[in-house]
Amino acid sequence: MKVPEQVRRLALLIAILAGVTLLARFVLIPRALVSTDLHWAEAVQREVAKPVKFAGAVACQDCHEDVVVKKAKGFHKGVTCETCHGPAAKHTEEPGAVTPPAPRDRRFCPACHTYDPSRPTGFPQINPTAHNPLKPCISCHNAHDPVPPRVPRECAACHAQIERTKAVSSHALIACTTCHKAPERHKSAPRAALPSKPETREFCGTCHSAGTAAKDAPKEAPKVDLSTHGGRSLCWECHYPHLPEGRT
Amino acid sequence: MNPQMTQGLAELLEQVTGFIFPNEIEIHWSMLIVVYPYVTGLVAGAFILASLVKVFNIQEIQPTYRLSLLTALAFLLVAPLPLLLHLGHPLRFYEILLTPNPTSAMAMFGFVYAWYLMAVLLLEIWFEYRRDLIAMARSASFPLNVFYRALSLFSQDVSQEALAFDRKAIHVITIVGIPSAFLLHGYVGFIFGSVKANPWWGSVLMPIVFLMSAIVSGIAIVIFLYMVLTALRGEPIEMACLDKITSYLFYAVIVDFSLEALDFIHRLYQSEESVKILGKLITHKLFMSLIVIQILLGMLIPLGILVLAKARRFNDDLRKLLYFTAVILIQLGIFATRWNVVIGGQLFSKSFRGLMSYKMEVMGIEGLLVALGVLALPFAVLAVLLRLLPTKPHEEAAPELGGALPPPARTA
Repeated sequence: MKVPEQVRRLALLIAILAGVTLLARFVLIPRALVSTDLHWAEAVQREVAKPVKFAGAVACQDCHEDVVVKKAKGFHKGVTCETCHGPAAKHTEEPGAVTPPAPRDRRFCPACHTYDPSRPTGFPQINPTAHNPLKPCISCHNAHDPVPPRVPRECAACHAQIERTKAVSSHALIACTTCHKAPERHKSAPRAALPSKPETREFCGTCHSAGTAAKDAPKEAPKVDLSTHGGRSLCWECHYPHLPEGRT
Repeated sequence: MNPQMTQGLAELLEQVTGFIFPNEIEIHWSMLIVVYPYVTGLVAGAFILASLVKVFNIQEIQPTYRLSLLTALAFLLVAPLPLLLHLGHPLRFYEILLTPNPTSAMAMFGFVYAWYLMAVLLLEIWFEYRRDLIAMARSASFPLNVFYRALSLFSQDVSQEALAFDRKAIHVITIVGIPSAFLLHGYVGFIFGSVKANPWWGSVLMPIVFLMSAIVSGIAIVIFLYMVLTALRGEPIEMACLDKITSYLFYAVIVDFSLEALDFIHRLYQSEESVKILGKLITHKLFMSLIVIQILLGMLIPLGILVLAKARRFNDDLRKLLYFTAVILIQLGIFATRWNVVIGGQLFSKSFRGLMSYKMEVMGIEGLLVALGVLALPFAVLAVLLRLLPTKPHEEAAPELGGALPPPARTA
């Protein structure tokens, strides 16, 4: 088959372009220029030239072993010493001359522990205005092994979001312990000893069933016939117990 | 941080509402990134219009075929410019050539762009103009004749078989070109649609919506250019052509509008956790650009105008006026669409609890003046292209140089 004249010319042009590109890429341009190392060299130098301020997570244990051991068992085990005490490279060089600061006033701890709904539930959060006003945090809490000085009186200390939700619901007057049995150890080791949760339809039925089972329940509580209502579904598959939508 | 920037951010801080994260105050994708999808969309749209002539064989719009191709080329040449300027150090761009990254969605633009420019648009234009280039090389005087000869790659063959081959080649390239044009602008939509952290962007409909709006804007710009060019040249407008293209524009706007409405209803019904902040975004920050400019001025009113022009038997002059108004409003609307996607997507916090503000620069490298310059540049490029490559097939023969040329190529 005869190749048309214009295709031959075009093919020649494309071949030349491809050839020049390949020649430039693989022969003319030095290999070092294509490597990303060179592109980053300056940035690496710039970073390396910066003065070292932090001593690192392990430097402290050489001298402060007791504190490090204590902290390693507590809730703050993931928080490095320098998170609170600041960069301590100078202190490791001249321990006597330079002392890292220790935050002792109320302004420091709330940076992490002020109530914020976007924090994970169960994370200890307080309202700094209402929580023991003016008292420094360290007068009750040891930051190296932070456990509450006494067990929290109410669940809201940790479960603030649920508490705030429940407070505006029709379950506001029901205590958390009505539905959840929390072992005492839950207050000191929250994840190791979990509280119980209701497991059956009959549990909700103690207030909400239309029969005799709920004869002691307040009359405002909406009543349903458990044998027909909702089939075999569990109550909390449709209703959120901390903010139930039912109203009488 | 330089003091000017600090001051600028301090001014913005007062306009923040609700809760935002610290790194969200500065809007990083500025006006230039609005211009980029807008210009790229015009390329894809103009090319799709050109392909209607060659693939679907719609003869009425033949007068705009070459204009569409050149428009696509002019805008395509400018399309990477906003990105280069946005780099901050435009001269660093060669680094992406040295270290091509086939796994980065952002770097993929280089490949998509190169494919579309080299394998589709330039090839099609070359085959379309080859006969004319040879003819013009014969009739033009020095140095233009050398230029045309070089452009035609010193090709001489204008036999019937060669011209038939040109037509066949154009047909094949256009068939490859339609998915390529879809790829080009679908890619731009993909860049936004694939950001799953941003609910305003992250949607599988995004590439399709971008594509349809690109077709709308591309057809509209070609109509605009066609009307302006004929007026400048003092030629009559072919009303059959104009009526036909505006019909396509009408259908494209309907499809585009339906897709955007579908996207909107889908979000509203899904009602994910972001729906409240997006509602606030629309009613507070984007009310003017989304509700008023994009939907009302850019879609509903032009649709109304086009319906009116089609339904009533107006005379030619009034129809021209109506069409012209509609295409200008549509351009405005599509630009607002790009604005709402690019800027709108950066105006709410990832916490879904706060809204930011965008303060446009005027003089800076990412400012209004540069953006206007980038938007004006394709028209200058197009003016040069139109001067070198006329949209009318070259009629005059040069018998003394090589015998009469066969009649201009037309699609069979």
